[in-house]
Amino acid sequence: MNSRRTFLRQISGAVLVLGAGSLWSSWASAQAQSRGIQMPGEDGLLVRSSRFFDLETPVEYFDTWITAAPRFFVRNHMHEPSELTATDWRLTVAGEVEKPVTFTLAELSRIAPHSVVNTLECAGNGRGLYRPQVPGAQWGKGAVGTARFSGPRLRDLLQRAGIKLSGKHVMFRGLDEVPGKVPPFIRSIPVEKALDSGTLIATHMNGSPLTKHHGFPARALVPGWIGAASCKWLTEIKVLESEFVGNFMSPGYRFPNRPGKPGEAVAPEDTHPVTALNVKSVIASPLDQADLKPGRISIHGAAWAGEADIVKVEISIDGGSSWNPAPLARDHAHYAWRLWSYIWIAPRGDHRILARATDSLGRTQPSTPVWNPGGYLYNAVDEVNIHVV
Amino acid sequence: MSFKTLVHAVSTMALLFCTLQIWPQSPAAPKPVLTEELPSGSMHDKAVTACTECHEARIIVQQRLGRAAWAKEVDKMVKWGAVVDTSDRDALIDYLSKNFGTDRPPYVPPRTSSIKAAPQAGASR
Repeated sequence: MNSRRTFLRQISGAVLVLGAGSLWSSWASAQAQSRGIQMPGEDGLLVRSSRFFDLETPVEYFDTWITAAPRFFVRNHMHEPSELTATDWRLTVAGEVEKPVTFTLAELSRIAPHSVVNTLECAGNGRGLYRPQVPGAQWGKGAVGTARFSGPRLRDLLQRAGIKLSGKHVMFRGLDEVPGKVPPFIRSIPVEKALDSGTLIATHMNGSPLTKHHGFPARALVPGWIGAASCKWLTEIKVLESEFVGNFMSPGYRFPNRPGKPGEAVAPEDTHPVTALNVKSVIASPLDQADLKPGRISIHGAAWAGEADIVKVEISIDGGSSWNPAPLARDHAHYAWRLWSYIWIAPRGDHRILARATDSLGRTQPSTPVWNPGGYLYNAVDEVNIHVV
Repeated sequence: MSFKTLVHAVSTMALLFCTLQIWPQSPAAPKPVLTEELPSGSMHDKAVTACTECHEARIIVQQRLGRAAWAKEVDKMVKWGAVVDTSDRDALIDYLSKNFGTDRPPYVPPRTSSIKAAPQAGASR
């Protein structure tokens, strides 16, 4: 009788515990695994697109300060270069310079290298969370990662070419293969950022040569800025008298000057280029809709703020009524995220856990993100709902 | 109902649940979309030829947009080289709005399989 009662109690308990959302979430997660796409060197990433590659890092991987390359998100606007070899590759520096220069990879490797641990985030990370939804890759929370990028400083290359005073912007062109009549992926950054000691022409990521997905043999690395600034498969650097004019400078990658009503169009003259990243935190664990046992639960994740520093991360376990400081991990660098963790003794019940970060500029994650037509810079307070049974 | 019968019934339900994916119909939690195929319809073939020459269908399948937003996307893509006859434009926008509108359940992406990294041709120096 006892075993029969236990069995019936377990069955009814399981049925009660599994809410519809949790049911779909668990099922969808299992389906996502079983539909796996073979992709050498990419470790369990979410496939937003496989032609061209848009691969997202699952949030549970945000438990290490450095993200390994196979777990690092991939964002391509177009097709990767089909023919690209270390021996044939060239990088030119021209435009508003005294003497245009062309570098081979071997010549680039002889210029003093510098390393920057940088949190690289796609401007559209979180686009899929905006309501109403906007077109584009429907990223969840994982188009972000942190790596140690190494290579010569961009300013050292510009100095060799002799940048003129008329140079105000520095343009990057990659070797992306353009489909149809799509405008080429060309963007520019202000000369002040180009000359910053942290801005690199990176040839290495986490101590190894860049993989093709991450821009082999060289990419720009514009620390603290949106990923689109860090052009991959770089082949041309051109100093310009003004900002580059092209689709990926406008209307692409622009943000409203003032928050508007969600869903409303924004006039181009009321926008500005998206540059540095926002303050943001993401909960890596527990996962949304997780079923957990009562007791000690480690709530942990990562927080970053572009060019600013994270000063605090706070956790709420009561849906935002009260907030508790989450200790920050020791590893830190100017442009890198901080890991954080908070230990909580969880009682039975359904719980809504929130995380919010504040940075050295005094910015705090908002409860509601600023909706914009491009779906850029999503940084609302992060949230997971868990069931403790 | 005897205990044995109950166990048998529960086991059968569980089996059906797992193998045939028979799920409770809940309007609050619609079944997520798990396919990358473009659904049938009069504009299916047009969508395949116009869109998937440059990118895979998955990029379309994950969007949830209203008709005005789909119209803007189609016009942008035509400007960028998608071949859509003027006479097909509205029907294609209808097809996309109907199948990938704001009321559709979310698309769940697959994952890359965790297989051992193979050397990449372009990554050697």
